[in-house]
Amino acid sequence: MELLANLALGFQTALSLANVAYCFVGVLLGTLIGVLPGIGPVPTIAMLLPITYTLPPVSALIMLAGIFYGAQYGGSTTSILVNLPGEASSVVTCLDGYQMARQGRAGVARAIAAIGSFFAGTVSTVVLAAAGPLLGRLAITFGPAEYFSLMVLGLAGAVVLAHGSLLKAVAMTVLGLLLGLVGTDVNSGAQRYTFGVPELGDGIGFVIIAMGLFGFAEIITNLIGGGVTRDVTTARIGGLWPSRRDLREAAPAVLRGTVLGSVLGVLPGGGAMLSSFASYALEKKIAKDPSRFGRGAIEGVAGPESANNAGAQTSFIPMLTLGIPGNSVMALMVGALMIHNIQPGPQVMTGNPALFWGLVASMWIGNLMLVILNLPLIGMWVKLLTLPYRFMYPAILLFCAIGTYSLGNNTFDVFLAAGFGLVGWVLHELECPPAPLLLGSILGPMMEENLRRALLISAGDATVLVTRPISAGLLATAAVLVVLIAVPALRTKRQEAFQEES
Amino acid sequence: MMRIRDPRDFWSGVLCIAAGLGAVVMGRRYEFGTAAAMGPGYFPTILGALLVALGLVASGRALRRGHGQSALGAFRPRPLVMVLASIVAFGVALPKLGLVVASMLLVVVSRLAAPGFRWLEVLVFGAALTALCSAVFVWGLKVPMLLWPAFLGQ
Repeated sequence: MELLANLALGFQTALSLANVAYCFVGVLLGTLIGVLPGIGPVPTIAMLLPITYTLPPVSALIMLAGIFYGAQYGGSTTSILVNLPGEASSVVTCLDGYQMARQGRAGVARAIAAIGSFFAGTVSTVVLAAAGPLLGRLAITFGPAEYFSLMVLGLAGAVVLAHGSLLKAVAMTVLGLLLGLVGTDVNSGAQRYTFGVPELGDGIGFVIIAMGLFGFAEIITNLIGGGVTRDVTTARIGGLWPSRRDLREAAPAVLRGTVLGSVLGVLPGGGAMLSSFASYALEKKIAKDPSRFGRGAIEGVAGPESANNAGAQTSFIPMLTLGIPGNSVMALMVGALMIHNIQPGPQVMTGNPALFWGLVASMWIGNLMLVILNLPLIGMWVKLLTLPYRFMYPAILLFCAIGTYSLGNNTFDVFLAAGFGLVGWVLHELECPPAPLLLGSILGPMMEENLRRALLISAGDATVLVTRPISAGLLATAAVLVVLIAVPALRTKRQEAFQEES
Repeated sequence: MMRIRDPRDFWSGVLCIAAGLGAVVMGRRYEFGTAAAMGPGYFPTILGALLVALGLVASGRALRRGHGQSALGAFRPRPLVMVLASIVAFGVALPKLGLVVASMLLVVVSRLAAPGFRWLEVLVFGAALTALCSAVFVWGLKVPMLLWPAFLGQ
């Protein structure tokens, strides 16, 4: 009954007037950026990070988390109505959701997506609440060797799930790790790679890297590609209520999507996007008549929409319990905690239970708000799509620039972020994935510190990484992941999965 | 006869080799230490060497095989230059000229990145955005920054 007591504490925290308000702001902003193509959760959270400095940590996290899962809802609205995914994780929703809209069943599709998402959100909140303490207990037995290996596994996951060439993804990870080492070495006080610039002494904030690579570079590539053009020939939304037959068809898909998403979300590198792709593939595979898919099959909406929401939420598990971010959004969450001098890891749950459980409970409340925000107000969100990109991008740029400045109240950060915008454009041109670079840059100092400690304890014997069983297991899993992807048959499968997206 | 069959992979490799070499060469100035007592140069040197190796493989493979349609696209510098210039202009203007001038600059310069620039529209839009940001960041969140140019004296 520990779980119930914990959840009670969580709801007590999350239901305070201020936290409900921050949760609402978060999911509202999340829905907004989910609807708008051209801006995703990563730059939005990066923009808002400096602002959260003035908030209590739990309110900050509740709001930022709301942006992340709120974006999943918003993204599916545009996928269904105008065949335009606002978020990468709702790409597959376009396939059947838009077809349903063309048959005049947009309202039903949106309702099923919302019901499925809410169900998945509820289940994954419980999963998070149950799995968190278990993993946390395991994590307390971890030594530096285990932590090092865990980070290797996390990076391997990020590499495997990156688009395109495996080799380039690995290289981007290593480059990110190196960027993370810029600044003062904690052990010796040596200034590394600072080029004598005092502002670099504290290292390159990864918020700045995120802002450059995901905020600025994205705008540049959008504009080079001729801007984001949208054809808003709004389909008739139709009735909202699904028929009994709709529900019967959708229910099993929702269940399968929830389970799949909950599991895949926990994996390093996993999260919303992988979950929705996997769920769509699964539904198509087990359907009696696969030819219905792509022509408005309700399972094709229900499954992936449930899966991406479940995955978005369970991806908090490794971040909250182990302190290891599995994707770029979680990396920024780690940053939000560190701004408040909270070191993410198993001690958060014991030392700061209101924070952990408050966040968990807020996700359920947030999901409820999203259902209300998205169903009756669907028409209003669609109107937003008529906002031309020529108004959107200067606003995003300005918010990013002010946000970057307010990180440390100095303009050096603004120039540095512009530099990373250039880097991001170059990487985009060379088809090098930016996400592994960002993850590497946050894990760099942690990896070095844990490797240093592990080797100090073992008197310089590197075999400690493979002789300790948990560490060996983690490294073996990482190796299996990379080898699997390098096998030609699976590589083509992976390419197919990503091709559907582009 | 050497020919670059896959320019994207080739230049990615070159980039990695350069960054890795830079890390190793600069890393030589930091104490390397031993495995049991890693100095500040230990981890970056290993990473740098790894990056060089990865870069060599990527570039090497790009010389031997490519996959057809991977030539670099035509370069249109305008969006790149204007977007980056608008951010830099913002950074330069902010400390002395304040948020109002800096954000107007950012909006005007960045709008030059896309076609269809109309002065009236851009100025009105910029003014609205500036007012919003001033309200949110300076009055609301109390981010310490100048609002109007310093020489106007406040």
